[in-house]
Amino acid sequence: MATSAISSGELVTLQELNPSLPSFKEGASFRVTGKLEEYNVVTAEAVIVDGGARLNVDTQHLTLNLRRGSIYQFIGELHIEPNDQAILKARVGRNVDGLDINLYNQTLKLLRQFQDEQMNASTA
Amino acid sequence: MNTLYNTHVKLLAFDFLALSPPKPVGQSSFSRKGVPLSRAESVGVIVTREFKPGRFLKFTIDDGTGCIPCVLWLNQLTSSYFSRRSPSSVRLIAEIAERSASQIQLGVVARVRGKITGYRGTMQITVSEAVMEKDPNAQVLHWLDCVNLARKCYDKYCKIGV
Repeated sequence: MATSAISSGELVTLQELNPSLPSFKEGASFRVTGKLEEYNVVTAEAVIVDGGARLNVDTQHLTLNLRRGSIYQFIGELHIEPNDQAILKARVGRNVDGLDINLYNQTLKLLRQFQDEQMNASTA
Repeated sequence: MNTLYNTHVKLLAFDFLALSPPKPVGQSSFSRKGVPLSRAESVGVIVTREFKPGRFLKFTIDDGTGCIPCVLWLNQLTSSYFSRRSPSSVRLIAEIAERSASQIQLGVVARVRGKITGYRGTMQITVSEAVMEKDPNAQVLHWLDCVNLARKCYDKYCKIGV
């Protein structure tokens, strides 16, 4: 059966979102989570952090109230600038203050394991 | 007896989109690993929204493993499908659908339940209930439910040939 026209945002941590990730390509869709560290009201560009990793997020299309120190989750497309810096052009975002980050990260690993299991079972 | 047929199975989007279409064509149930299913539940972020007042709301939920198209019918007051029901019941169903439609907005996380249907080669959920999830952990808990139920329940049904 045909799948939806819109791409699903691949679940990644900020630490994983780097050129060594096979899906790290111009236009690829990702779902990222991080704490808002900086926000430029003029350019609507936000910087989110998670552990030692940072990501710029273009929030110009969002009507979200952004507050430094809160945790946000964005789904959008990766744009790789000429200087190799990546920026996520967000199409949706939400405040996820209260998210259990440890559980979230562990569940991401479990999801990937489960998807691999199901794919191996279907090709077996 | 297939006890999964009359329940809303919790499925990750990649699992939902891999359901087998009904055979022969025209029968009502889709199947997962040979087990017929009729209803599903999903939790995800609303990423598209197409609203036709008085007719339908089409939207897509992204749960991180895929995107599931959904349709919420809003034509209860004019559809002949409801003509045999009492007008007060139809009005109530229509009001509930309208209220859900107004809450389904881009970026919101929704828990959606409904019938598994097909439309022009695409799998979708025809929504019977939609609840907006404000708790940021709701998505994570749904993922865990889906994995747990698939491993401990749904996959076991296909093994015992139900």
